[in-house]
Amino acid sequence: MALRGILTLMAVLVLYSVSAFAQTPDNPIRPLKFPEQIESDLSSRRIAIESNFTGEQIVIFGTIENSKQTDFEPGLYDVVVAVRGPRETIVARRKTKVAGIWINTNSLKFGNAPGYYALLSRRELKDVASNTILTAYRLGFDNLGFRPIGKNVAALAADGLKDFKDAVIRIKQREGLYIYDPQGVVFVGRNLFRATINIPANVPVGRYATDVYLLRNGEVLSHRRSDLRISKAGFERFVYAAAFDYPLLYGIIAVIVAISAGLLASAMTRRD
Amino acid sequence: MSSRHPRLGLPARNNKRRSMFEIYLPIAELSVNLLVILGMGGAVGFLSGMFGVGGGFLMTPLLIFSGIPPAVAVATEANQIVASSVSGSLAQWRRGNVDIKMGTVLLIGGIVGAVLGVQLVKVLRQVGQVDLIISLSYVTFLGIIGVLMLIESVRAIRRVRAGGPVSTRRPGQHNWIHGLPLKMRFKHSKLYISALPPLFIGAFVGLLAAIMGVGGGFIMVPAMIYLLRMPTNVVVGTSLFQIIFVTSAVTILHSATNQTVDVILALVLMIGGVIGAQFGARAGQYLKGEQLRALLALMVLGVCLRLLFDLVIQPDELFSIGPALGGH
Repeated sequence: MALRGILTLMAVLVLYSVSAFAQTPDNPIRPLKFPEQIESDLSSRRIAIESNFTGEQIVIFGTIENSKQTDFEPGLYDVVVAVRGPRETIVARRKTKVAGIWINTNSLKFGNAPGYYALLSRRELKDVASNTILTAYRLGFDNLGFRPIGKNVAALAADGLKDFKDAVIRIKQREGLYIYDPQGVVFVGRNLFRATINIPANVPVGRYATDVYLLRNGEVLSHRRSDLRISKAGFERFVYAAAFDYPLLYGIIAVIVAISAGLLASAMTRRD
Repeated sequence: MSSRHPRLGLPARNNKRRSMFEIYLPIAELSVNLLVILGMGGAVGFLSGMFGVGGGFLMTPLLIFSGIPPAVAVATEANQIVASSVSGSLAQWRRGNVDIKMGTVLLIGGIVGAVLGVQLVKVLRQVGQVDLIISLSYVTFLGIIGVLMLIESVRAIRRVRAGGPVSTRRPGQHNWIHGLPLKMRFKHSKLYISALPPLFIGAFVGLLAAIMGVGGGFIMVPAMIYLLRMPTNVVVGTSLFQIIFVTSAVTILHSATNQTVDVILALVLMIGGVIGAQFGARAGQYLKGEQLRALLALMVLGVCLRLLFDLVIQPDELFSIGPALGGH
């Protein structure tokens, strides 16, 4: 089902762009009453984390409608893809040396931080648009939108705050949960583009928004959003849900399983 | 099925190799190689079969070294110890080596200790110090026990080389324990002593079980022999009896309070442990006791030093991040 749906969509998109090209061989600049628009979709809208889950890749693909791009070398348009995971509260901790050992001494809590954030574009983000635009559309690691909360915020100097913020981004990047790839959006032909996004094994579950922005000369012309859902599935989902929804029952079952395993082992190995 | 969506035939940029042995641990929230975890369970099971020790004090650090969050390692290992102590204590039970009354007194103390320990872990997780306290507890106990075992086994080896008999110290008849109130009669152990020392020992071991993910036999067995002066034939069976119930309580309490028990990880460890213990018990019959104990002591000290090293050496990354847990 899904395969057929996606292939049909791809075929329609390709045909559409080919026909648009065929209709206007002598008048490449179309009138402004047909503004550029972006159409896009994902290779999968649901990702299930099962026992063999070691990460996944999804492809975001789409096309620019009413494109005024004439030659095959892309350059007129920028496409920026942002994938944002569910928001979470993160505690960042800093170790200092106390009595010879490294101990967490300072901590800072950040609210509203995306659990996952991938940003892909055709070129460096600073060349795509001004800071004003990037901030308005929350694009880039400078505009993740997370803010420190709690009582020790005031005590931290501005540079201390920056250290913590940088650390969160650095660690999330190392875990593969924050991604910035300025060569991540690839044009295929004039108007067709695709971007491959890595979803690592440690990805937080929940509802994800994938936003695709079409820009020209630093202005956002069009924006398309698709939802992506990442959830634990199968036995893993069952175990995870049981552990958090029925923690007491889960513990009792864990003990019953262990006692049964012990009894089974001693029955199997008893030789006297 | 939804994870098997077509990828449009496009080449994957970062082609991760998928091993059929990779399993995802739902509570630890990471994928591990099934064979590595089975092998670790088997190796520790082999050692515990060979030396007749529980193995929790080796397994928990190994899990931490392999990237399992320390709080998950501790709670999950407690779950595994339930299985290994059930099969161990059944064998002792058949030989009539369990003092149920003494075990029950130790157990009451153990439950109190477990409740305190699990609450302590909860608070430590909230303030971000749980990893440190688990590591420090291990460094302390592994250091003390490793050194004591090494000294004892080296002395034993020397005695054997000198041709003398391997002396077994006979406990004396009276000590300060006998001055305490709340006296109880323990027929099976042929003791008439206060219930307070076993309650206290049980509570201490329960606390260690909750914080370190160990059965605590390495503390309880010497305490029963040297402090309570129990006959050595009932010591192992009685401590295993107590360990079943205390680690069960720790498993349930950690599940209910901290949601840190990973049953999938525990099950893999149980399977590896059972198989390993069988081979270990057979291998142990062909090796000399003193040399085995010296070997185990060196291993314990090795794990201790590794943990100490991780605490003392400046980490590459001074920052760490984690989810905000309730409270504060």
